[in-house]
Amino acid sequence: MEQQAIWAISIFLLIYGLIIAEKIHRTIVAMIGGVLMVSLGIVNQETALHHIDFNTLGLLVGMMIIVGVTAETGLFKYIAILSAKKAKGEPVRIMVALTLITAVGSAFLDNVTTVLLMVPVTFSITRQLRVNPVPFLIAQIFASNVGGTATLIGDPPNIMIGSAVKELTFMAFISNLAPIAAIVMAVYIPIFVWMFRKKIQTAPELKQSIMDLDEKAVISDRKLLYKCVAVLGITIIGFFLHQLLHLESATVALAGAFLLLLLTGEHMMEEAFTKVEWTTIFFFIGLFVLVSGLVETGVIAKLAEQAIELTGGDVVATSMLILWLSAIASAFLDNIPFVATMIPMIQEMGNMGVSNLEPLWWSLALGACLGGNGSLIGASANLIVAGLSGKEGHPIRFVQFIKIGFPLMLLSIVLSSIYIYLRYLL
Amino acid sequence: MLTYRFDPEIVQIQEDANGDDVEFRIRVLKEQPLAVDGLKQARAWFESNEVHTDVLFYAYPDQTYKVIVRRDYYVEFVLELMKHKLLRSVEWKA
Repeated sequence: MEQQAIWAISIFLLIYGLIIAEKIHRTIVAMIGGVLMVSLGIVNQETALHHIDFNTLGLLVGMMIIVGVTAETGLFKYIAILSAKKAKGEPVRIMVALTLITAVGSAFLDNVTTVLLMVPVTFSITRQLRVNPVPFLIAQIFASNVGGTATLIGDPPNIMIGSAVKELTFMAFISNLAPIAAIVMAVYIPIFVWMFRKKIQTAPELKQSIMDLDEKAVISDRKLLYKCVAVLGITIIGFFLHQLLHLESATVALAGAFLLLLLTGEHMMEEAFTKVEWTTIFFFIGLFVLVSGLVETGVIAKLAEQAIELTGGDVVATSMLILWLSAIASAFLDNIPFVATMIPMIQEMGNMGVSNLEPLWWSLALGACLGGNGSLIGASANLIVAGLSGKEGHPIRFVQFIKIGFPLMLLSIVLSSIYIYLRYLL
Repeated sequence: MLTYRFDPEIVQIQEDANGDDVEFRIRVLKEQPLAVDGLKQARAWFESNEVHTDVLFYAYPDQTYKVIVRRDYYVEFVLELMKHKLLRSVEWKA
């Protein structure tokens, strides 16, 4: 192996280890890794820039702006209170309703944003009902990861896969992943009801207090709400039509974001830009450059070759290997660097003669997204919910979560294996 | 002990202890839009801070609000009402 490749592997492993150790912020670590790849001459700056996927970054920035502004209107609180009233103030039904809202929200917004919007309203409703919020929050963690699986924009792994493989459009993600995401949710919900029903009982007068709430009072700015809903709607329609319009998903998201800022006026712009998680954006940039070092030195090609040797190039075996490896890895590691490494590997398998790559892409998406449910550290949304819950006096422990999360994650991967096999490989 | 007085022509305030919380029922009289705005601003302030369960507002029809206040945020909540002129006076009494 060439000296450059050995350097690239060493930097990659060191940076990966530091990301896992979480002693230093992952963005700083990833950016240092990227800078090392360039400054040691493993990739030149032009090649490094070429490897940064601006479609992924543009999509993330655009959606963060739209959702950040929309959250200010009180829309999500309105939906949650309305659904609690439709559930007649019954805690089990409210749990199911909030879980479904989280799943749908995570499919069209990103998971972290969705849970950040849902957690405060969950605290509010459960406090009113005087029930423990933890079962609601655990169900929402699962829903955010499952819902995020369903679309191209739902979860960072899907954004990255959709961006890297032009044939996998927004509609392709929905038609291939939404059915299995719906199946997993349909299996999970009765399990949540069965597990938590006895822990979330309340008194009739408290149910009535939910029924009497005036949901319209939570809308803070009606004019802004109409503008946000219109732009969000246009943007989502744009995603459905992006292939027909010959536009990348980032163009659609950024067009939506700046149309909204045009409608809301300059005063909203400064605040909207503070809603963009710049640390996440730079984390991606660092990772793209880090992985470019492995691609340019031929390490990824070598790994792909070995994976094909292991599975004999058989699509069924390769799909299952990717699905299960992604799921187990994503349960304990950050799925973004994992997917960033797997994408060029699968592309390389295509170059080596594996003709049907489609099941491999869906296996990667399903494994990386659903695997996040395996443990509390499996996805950013999990950590954020647990952090907020702990801060408010309701800790969700690592072991407590893994006892529920790991078996449920395995169940979803078994269902996904059956789905992949029946739909693409039979 | 913190005590407060309010103008019954602007608001009606009733508070009850409930475990670790104090529950307020606040009704703003219809002809007092400034008081409604004040209460909305107080709500926005507590909803925008970093603690999600300190003070929770629930809006009901007829400009009535139920507010669940964690005991450790009682003083902060009362002072916020004072700041928005929903109270006439606030006083520490032995």
